[in-house]
Amino acid sequence: MSFATVVKRLRKIAGPDAVLDRPEDLMLYEYDAGLACATPQAVVFPRSTEQVAEIVHLAAEAGVPIVPRGAGTGLSGGSIARDGGIILGFSRMNHILELDLDNQRAVVEPGVVNLDLSNAVAGAGLYFAPDPSSQKACTIGGNVAENSGGPHTLACGVTVNHVTGLEVVLPDGRVVEFGGKAAGVVGYDLTGFFVGSEGTVGIATKIVVKLTRLPEAVATLLAIFHTVDDAAHTVVALTSAGITPAALEMLDGWTLRAVEEATHAGYPMDSGAVLLIEVEGLREEVEEQAEAVSGICQMQKAREVRRAQNERERQLLWSGRKNAFGAIGRISPSYYVQDGVIPRTRIPDTLRHIEQVARKYSLTIGNIFHAGDGNLHPLILFDVRDPEQSRRTHAAGREILEYCVQVGGSITGEHGVGMEKNELMPLLFSADDLEVMTRLHDAFNPRSLLNPGKLFPASRSCRETLASAHPAAGLGLDSPRAEA
Amino acid sequence: MSAAPALPSLAEELAAIAGPEFVNDDAGMLRVFAVDGIAPAISVSPGSAEEVAAILRLASARDLVVVPCGGFTHQDQGGIPKRADVLLKTGRLRALRHYDAGDLTLGADAGMTLAEVERTLAVHRQFLPLEVARPEASTLGGALAVAAHGPLRHAYGGVRDFCIGITFVTGDGKIAHGGGRVVKNVAGYDLMKLLVGSFGTLGVIVGASFKVFPRPSASRSFLCEFPEAREAAAFRDRVLRSPLRPECLEVLSPRAAEYLKDSIPGAESKAVGRSAPEAWRVALRAAGSEAVLARYARELGAAVSTELEGQSEAAFWRSVITFSESVEGRHHNAMILHLALPIAAVAAALAAAEQIALDHGFLMAAVGRAGAGALVVALIPILVDPPAAPLYAAAVKLLRLALPHDATAAVARCPREAKSYFSVWGTTPTELDSMRGVQRALDPKSVLNRGRFML
Repeated sequence: MSFATVVKRLRKIAGPDAVLDRPEDLMLYEYDAGLACATPQAVVFPRSTEQVAEIVHLAAEAGVPIVPRGAGTGLSGGSIARDGGIILGFSRMNHILELDLDNQRAVVEPGVVNLDLSNAVAGAGLYFAPDPSSQKACTIGGNVAENSGGPHTLACGVTVNHVTGLEVVLPDGRVVEFGGKAAGVVGYDLTGFFVGSEGTVGIATKIVVKLTRLPEAVATLLAIFHTVDDAAHTVVALTSAGITPAALEMLDGWTLRAVEEATHAGYPMDSGAVLLIEVEGLREEVEEQAEAVSGICQMQKAREVRRAQNERERQLLWSGRKNAFGAIGRISPSYYVQDGVIPRTRIPDTLRHIEQVARKYSLTIGNIFHAGDGNLHPLILFDVRDPEQSRRTHAAGREILEYCVQVGGSITGEHGVGMEKNELMPLLFSADDLEVMTRLHDAFNPRSLLNPGKLFPASRSCRETLASAHPAAGLGLDSPRAEA
Repeated sequence: MSAAPALPSLAEELAAIAGPEFVNDDAGMLRVFAVDGIAPAISVSPGSAEEVAAILRLASARDLVVVPCGGFTHQDQGGIPKRADVLLKTGRLRALRHYDAGDLTLGADAGMTLAEVERTLAVHRQFLPLEVARPEASTLGGALAVAAHGPLRHAYGGVRDFCIGITFVTGDGKIAHGGGRVVKNVAGYDLMKLLVGSFGTLGVIVGASFKVFPRPSASRSFLCEFPEAREAAAFRDRVLRSPLRPECLEVLSPRAAEYLKDSIPGAESKAVGRSAPEAWRVALRAAGSEAVLARYARELGAAVSTELEGQSEAAFWRSVITFSESVEGRHHNAMILHLALPIAAVAAALAAAEQIALDHGFLMAAVGRAGAGALVVALIPILVDPPAAPLYAAAVKLLRLALPHDATAAVARCPREAKSYFSVWGTTPTELDSMRGVQRALDPKSVLNRGRFML
């Protein structure tokens, strides 16, 4: 089947206005929020599960890859059509299908924007707990694919802890259900397995999520330190003291200065690091915990601990954190954000190691991250137009992740493996581990037409590209690009 | 033509893998490991993941059925075994792999008992919210395989929510890891989720890592009484809509009290004197400082009939965790069901269970996580003579029909004769073909617990 025929049939399935195939339109779907890029051959916007199933059937018949995509805010290339083919955009499947407040559940289509769901249930005192920094744009379908986290997942858990059921279109076009509104049902937990499978197992078309009660009280503190080391030791001290804040974020001196210049969040320009700490719960609990946090920070040589006095001040403190990546974009042509995880007790030495890596490769690396769960986000600044700098950037990134693994951590805490870190999977997993994961992949997606070239190292992707030898196949990390 | 050399016996081959002292084929001794009258032909206690893998490769080659077991506390659950060739005991795999108190993570081999985990964590005032009736016997691997949970599931979620890494051996003998030892990790497929609740049919779990939690400084529990299940559920809803965030929120049927009674405190005190004989109860456990506990007392107000603290509180929750065992201990013909259902269906399910019990010659007693939608329902025969097996089947069928379509009701225990009249697992909303695909991927020759799971 020629691709022109594929496009014609896509128009028949989804409607003439629901398919893009002109080069200038496709360009918008070449990238996500990370560095990778590749051009799809067509983008289609289905409106229903039935249309998704028909498109999947068509792709299978034509032997064309198919890649689901939410808002394209991912950071690991999960929604990029690495081998060309069809991108399935979910912007028209963006309805909240059901709010079942008695069961603390919502049923949503994958294109629903994360924050829109929380806003829709705020009146009932509920929210959807996973809160990626991109929550104003990112979709719940994307959150499910990547098992997204966010600052408040420290206390509340990541996406998988908040999904109980799915409707899924499998790569063979069958529409199936995994789980439902009840949690812990009998049978294999395919819902849990699906969340975080990065679009390589099936396409979620309905998602049943838990809704969480908003806390009665929240206290947001900003602890200011002379050195990164003091801040890092404070994180260890807080965790050891049995305090589980709702969020515990760190910005190092370089990053907080960059952020402060852009957002005026109130971070002191002359400090070495700040911790943004939030505790929530009952008023009584919050008062006690805020006091305990403040005491520990001071014992750990905090220069000052400030507490937001009202919601406006709280939002201001958070605005620095949530808009940080944008702020960095003002001062560097490109940056590479890493997503390593380490045991929380290893934060001090890991940050020192990152500093050494920065010196070794003559790069600037800022640190802004979810300290409370040891999820680092080193930001490596570089100029994408300079191939030599790009090379050093990737080498430095790899070295940092190797260190994370060496101290017992992981290569990704919330961004996913995608096409960014698939070659690093052997750092964490043995050949047997990967073979077992491959068997599971093949049980659902035997021809690798669904999101090919992701998650698994290339030794297996070779086989995939044979199955889908399309001229528009992408180039992955070979052509890093600037943050849009 | 000379005779072919005799093949080594299974016992010899297992002995070559694990050492002869860890292989047992004494039929008399193996009888205690019988399930529904089917005893394993031989047992083996491997000392490492590699030995487990070798045993499973051998079993695959010889087309044997392997039954993995930890403390042998939950083996009853499942269909009647068709065969049980090799009992694979994980008891020798009990090393602590890592415990980083500052990071609140712990990893250990599958055969470590929950009591040992508890002792290890207690040193740093931490704990794993994985509750079982017999922690001295139950193992980490077993608790994962059956997705064990107790009242703490309300606040901490199920074991799927705090198991962060797993090592297991596939049916065909490959050692595989998923996750790791850090609290946040999305690298690779989430194999933990597949193994949790797989009842030993996808792999033999040989080790796991967990997020652990700081022990609350103090706690207090509140018992509230209601004439009807509906009112108990309405109270549960009031709590769920309030700012309170209890550790446990448990519903207890009137008859459940009989199986918890040694622990319902001060049986002679006024508190119980006030109790209605047929009261439904909601038990709420609060944790925190005195100010926080006082707030709970204020908010719950007049609804509270009894407050529990200290040892009596611990004893009460222990008795909730051991509810099934208390029922079984007294009525060996009782049937125990595990229900998973949307929380708004809890009251109707309990009312249906009472009615169905009444209609079929049973008494109903239940405890459960009212806020998480997980109930343990016991149907206890009224007569000393066991009811006819089809009555069990009829009761189960009707109860399942009374539940929403996405709920499940698995029979955790019932007399063997009854098992042949119905599926102990019932239906699940999760598509069966996909489950079969996963099973074929991980246990291609169906070596593990063949025929006992729902597929």
